Amino acid sequence: MVRGAKDDVSGVRPRLVASPASTEEVAEVLRVAKERHLAVVACGAGTALGWGAPPERADLLLDTRRIAGVVEHAAGDLVVTVRAGTPVGELQAAVAEAGQQLALDAPYPEATVGGTLAVSTSGPRRLLYGTARDLLIGVTFVRADGVVAKAGGKVVKNVAGYDFGKLLIGSFGTLGVITEAVFRLHPLPAARRVVSATFPQASTAGRAALAVLGSQVVPTAVELAGPADEVRVTVLVEGVEAGVSGRTDAVVRLLGRGATIHDELPAGFTALPFTPGGTGIKVTASLTGVGPVLAAAHSLGAQHGVDVDVRGSAAGVLHAGTGPAADPAAVARLVDRLRAAAALFGGSVTVLTAPADVRDVVDLWGPVPGLDLMRRLKAELDPDRRLSPGRFVGGI
Amino acid sequence: MTDPTDRTDPTETTGTAETDPPVDAPRGTLGDHGPIAVSTAPGIPAFDAHRPPSAELASDCVHCGFCLPTCPTYVLWGEEMDSPRGRIYLMQAGLDGEPMTDAMVGHFDACLGCMACVTACPSGVQYDRLIEATRAQVERRHRRPLRDRLLREAIFALFPHPRRLRALRGPLAAYRRSGLQRAVQRSRVLDRVSPTLAAMEALAPPVRPAPPLPARVAARGERRAVVGMLTGCVQREFFPRVNAATARVLAMEGCDVVIPRRQGCCGALSVHNGREAEAQAFARRTIDVFDAAGVEHVVVNAAGCGSSMKEYADLLADDPAYADLARRFAASVRDVSEILAELGPVAARHPLPVTVAYHDACHLGHAQGVRAQPRDLLRGVPGLELREVADADICCGSAGIYNLLHPVAAGELGDRKARAVLDTGAELLVTANPGCLMQVAASVSRMGGRIGLAHTVEVLDASLRGRTPAQLTRELALATPEPTGGASAGDTPTGTR
Amino acid sequence: MSTDTGTRVEHVAARLRTELGDDAVITDRARLRTYECDGLAHYKVTPAVVVLPRTTGQVADVVRACVEHGVPFVARGSGTGLSGGALPHAQGVLLVLSQMRDVIAVDPDDQRAVVQPGVINLQVSRSAAPMGYYYAPDPSSQQICSMGGNVAENSGGAHCLKYGFTTNHVTGLELVVPDGSVVRLGGRAPDPPGYDLMGAFVGSEGTLGVTTEITVRLTRAPEAVRTLLAAFPSTDEAGGAVSAVIGAGVVPAAIEMMDALAIEAAEAAVHCHYPEGAGAVLVVELDGPAAEVEAQFVEVERHCRDNRAFEIRIAADEAERALFWKGRKSAFAAVGRISPDYIVQDGVIPRTALPEVLRRIAELSRGSGVRVANVFHAGDGNLHPLVLFDDGVPGEAEHAVQVSAAILDLCIEHGGSITGEHGVGMDKAKHLPRMYTDDDLDTMQMLRCAFDPAHLSNPGKVFPTPRLCGEIPGRHKGPHPLQTAGLAEVF
Repeated sequence: MVRGAKDDVSGVRPRLVASPASTEEVAEVLRVAKERHLAVVACGAGTALGWGAPPERADLLLDTRRIAGVVEHAAGDLVVTVRAGTPVGELQAAVAEAGQQLALDAPYPEATVGGTLAVSTSGPRRLLYGTARDLLIGVTFVRADGVVAKAGGKVVKNVAGYDFGKLLIGSFGTLGVITEAVFRLHPLPAARRVVSATFPQASTAGRAALAVLGSQVVPTAVELAGPADEVRVTVLVEGVEAGVSGRTDAVVRLLGRGATIHDELPAGFTALPFTPGGTGIKVTASLTGVGPVLAAAHSLGAQHGVDVDVRGSAAGVLHAGTGPAADPAAVARLVDRLRAAAALFGGSVTVLTAPADVRDVVDLWGPVPGLDLMRRLKAELDPDRRLSPGRFVGGI
Repeated sequence: MTDPTDRTDPTETTGTAETDPPVDAPRGTLGDHGPIAVSTAPGIPAFDAHRPPSAELASDCVHCGFCLPTCPTYVLWGEEMDSPRGRIYLMQAGLDGEPMTDAMVGHFDACLGCMACVTACPSGVQYDRLIEATRAQVERRHRRPLRDRLLREAIFALFPHPRRLRALRGPLAAYRRSGLQRAVQRSRVLDRVSPTLAAMEALAPPVRPAPPLPARVAARGERRAVVGMLTGCVQREFFPRVNAATARVLAMEGCDVVIPRRQGCCGALSVHNGREAEAQAFARRTIDVFDAAGVEHVVVNAAGCGSSMKEYADLLADDPAYADLARRFAASVRDVSEILAELGPVAARHPLPVTVAYHDACHLGHAQGVRAQPRDLLRGVPGLELREVADADICCGSAGIYNLLHPVAAGELGDRKARAVLDTGAELLVTANPGCLMQVAASVSRMGGRIGLAHTVEVLDASLRGRTPAQLTRELALATPEPTGGASAGDTPTGTR
Repeated sequence: MSTDTGTRVEHVAARLRTELGDDAVITDRARLRTYECDGLAHYKVTPAVVVLPRTTGQVADVVRACVEHGVPFVARGSGTGLSGGALPHAQGVLLVLSQMRDVIAVDPDDQRAVVQPGVINLQVSRSAAPMGYYYAPDPSSQQICSMGGNVAENSGGAHCLKYGFTTNHVTGLELVVPDGSVVRLGGRAPDPPGYDLMGAFVGSEGTLGVTTEITVRLTRAPEAVRTLLAAFPSTDEAGGAVSAVIGAGVVPAAIEMMDALAIEAAEAAVHCHYPEGAGAVLVVELDGPAAEVEAQFVEVERHCRDNRAFEIRIAADEAERALFWKGRKSAFAAVGRISPDYIVQDGVIPRTALPEVLRRIAELSRGSGVRVANVFHAGDGNLHPLVLFDDGVPGEAEHAVQVSAAILDLCIEHGGSITGEHGVGMDKAKHLPRMYTDDDLDTMQMLRCAFDPAHLSNPGKVFPTPRLCGEIPGRHKGPHPLQTAGLAEVF
């Protein structure tokens, strides 16, 4: 059942592909895989199949896209239960009919719910709503040994048992295969305004963003993007019409001369600055570190002759992308130096995706506090190391 | 099996620790809703049958912990057994048959009796009654170390007796030669006492015989009430001006003020320290004196005295001859700010432009619930700006004679309070208890700060008499001394700049 | 054998006296007894030793000593928990963190505060208030509950409807893991690399180790806060108003409901002067940008009137707002004024099931003659039924336990949870299998095994039966080795 190069997991081609249609079928597949000692890589739409380190082994690709559809949308409770293979865009469209949203930006709308959770992508709205960890209230998944387990439930407030969902989010499929998720939803805002302004330096842009965060505006998003000499700050204000106009004026005052007001989001607002075949990096910092780290990314790029596209949230998460042609050694040096800059602000740099020649010379994850505990956790859940082995931090 | 010689016993229990250490206590079953059994207690039960702390009152505590942040000793040490909840637990343990160990007594003794926990408790636990009953049992049934006994005896030989106190009003050297030293005899004890007394001495007004108050001060203008006035022990000897101001203000607000000459101590210190019989004797005498004076209300300007006089009904409940009398008497007691609020202002207030930090004395705020009245009186003075002190519900550490018995803890609490008071930037600290004034003053001066100190009625008195802030501070009973020189500071009050 | 465990804990106590000093180690019987219980006082166990560390290093010393001697340890903050989560172990060490109470940093620009675990929740907000910030999670016990306890329990509060729970506000933790090592997870920046161990630790009820430093997000104090108190003929109408408000897309900072009996208790305790004759009151609070709040407030008011609110009061100032809240926040302890004893439940239901579940609770109460007062976070369906009884009357306690269990059944039947914020602890461990399958629980315990293979960190809590770490599920027979070692028990 081998399909083609698009099923490669970072260059590793699985021998088999399974497409189960339910949690029970996933369990069955994983039980068989256990018996046959097969290494399994779970995958949704494949938008992030090239993320993380290449798996040491990938015998079976477990395609979750048939496990699809909204199970229950309890609109009155602002809760939705959805199967993991459902594309996030489809889920958003379904809940929007009731005037609601899953307040999580998906950089790739075709990405599935399960895949989005597994790599924990986020976007501009994380400033107000947080990320998947703040929205997932229940999860069903299948362990490496084929046992079905769930954690959480379908009420927003629940402290019964361990919050296992947190561990699955961003685990790159190394702890289990997510088959169903329950999210808390938010009402779609009635009104929206976008204010943007450009600054000649990242540092001044960073300060302007901080001023908005420290104000009473309560923005949904504050994004920074653009080249070193023209950094654009974009502020998204949402709410009821009566409130939004006044708050928009306040943002204009904070951003200063040249700020412009728009009704629509700029194109590519939620997209990542990654190019196919290039290197994609995630950089985090404290709020006050965002401006300096953005500046550092620009200057390091110039210094090492690498063209870097950086953008991200004033909440402390930036993404940077370089083209496929960038010199691997230069990219590796840039990552090292950027890591040092981010560390000054309590942050980290992880290389989410990179071409093979870059992967070979770069430390994808950087220092990982608590790695020993993570290894112990992996050993408990997947003692035979059959779920995406080697794909995650520390070779987990 | 273990080798008995190898067995280290880390416990300090007074019971037979070798055979029955707590670690060997039978375990409770961690099952359904059933309570957990604990091992039977070694030794003689803590309490006897004569007015032990009420098991019923103790069981009102639901262990919610809301009292912890208001308890001064918990704030200082963060330990459960030095919190109201922990002390109630110890009382319950005592009622269950646990012996009265030194450790247990230490935690009861460490309670300042500030009653902040009573205010904070949502379940309405009457901790005040519980601790009073416990203290009486401790006094009767527990033999303290010699040092503690001597210190306590010395204090009770001194404070409830105005004439003996007067002997202390001389210079420091004079009181070192006084009866206290003879009573205490051991220099270590004196060392423990002297810092506080030295501070007190330093803060006392210049050694001038206090002009005796007349037996009766007639109301100015229309007479609206006939009140008796308690002159107190410490108040009378160390703060005679507060008493004078009280009498003047009451008279100016239309009260005939009767000041019985024969009055003595109200018994507050005794009752708050478990000296039940002594307290009852003081109470009977106080009731007799004011009963004979024929007054409608008994007005008190010292928070600790007022609070215990309002509780005479409890104190004398078992005395058939006095029970009814005590109930009527208790109902007639008013703090001076209460009676002034009840009567309403008639005398003209003159402007007194001064910033004031008001400190709630625990026995006024927590024990009597009198918080709004003194503030309203102060706000009624034109030009006066009232500022609140942070963490107002935490005791300053004075707490009757607590600062003598527990000088270190009291000092820390005093410093905390002084810092909060100085943070207000006010020129004048106003409160309704002589102990608080001395306590905060000692800390303020230790910290090198400066602030004027006054009783509420002194401020009111100044306003009614049209004094300026400068005149007020000159007349004040107290001001913090120069940080360098202690004893002479009282001569030059330095409150306002 | 008990002598062995007794000797082991004595060794630990002796060693800790040397390492931490005599003042930090309590073995005196009377003092130990004051630590017998937390806020759920009907569970009592006297700990063998109480230790009061002052530094992370000392906490690590304690944990190492315990691990080396195989002695269980239980961490405790202010002892206000309502599930017996800090119930001591009779042969174990109680690690009391109330002396680690420094606010290490308050940084408004980074919107973060760093605190020690013994710091009181409200103290964080007080420290940040001068800069215009506060710490959003506000358990009703916020004036005394500790931040370490909040992390262990993933504490909620009235305002968590809009702002989320402790887990949404913790961005960094320093832990002493049950092998005695110190690990720092997260910090000021979001999204640390690797598994979200911090997310799993928050709410793990002390079973994965001891937190020694906490970094939390600070929230900008809102420009405007509007609070209203609405009185309804019954909980049906009040529930209808809640649904209407949420359905209209308004996310209030808080919506709290009290029924007639709870109102009576609060009135007796704090004289909050709620409208007379109310079968239910709602306290609704909106906060945020002023214009936004004004617009939504009108809407909330309208929904209340549409649902037959017969009196609506709007807090004119901070004092009146405080009075509205005082009645609500003191309600638990206030019930002590109308009943000698009570059981507090913490079940959660989907919000839309509120009217139905409240009717069923009323039927249960009528049928059994057991009075039930209802106080709850209506916005997120977190019920706090207070089941009243008098332990002095034979049989009443048993009836109350039955009614209380029946209410939990109702919650589970409606797809809810047995605990929304109080935690499982000792009290609800036996109920956990009603929400989760054996496989679910077994999976959760794999996390436990990764952190604490010897089950020394708060053993006996959360999970009704411990997992033998490294075992193949379902294969072992006979007594569990941890049972034989005296470290675990079967329920």
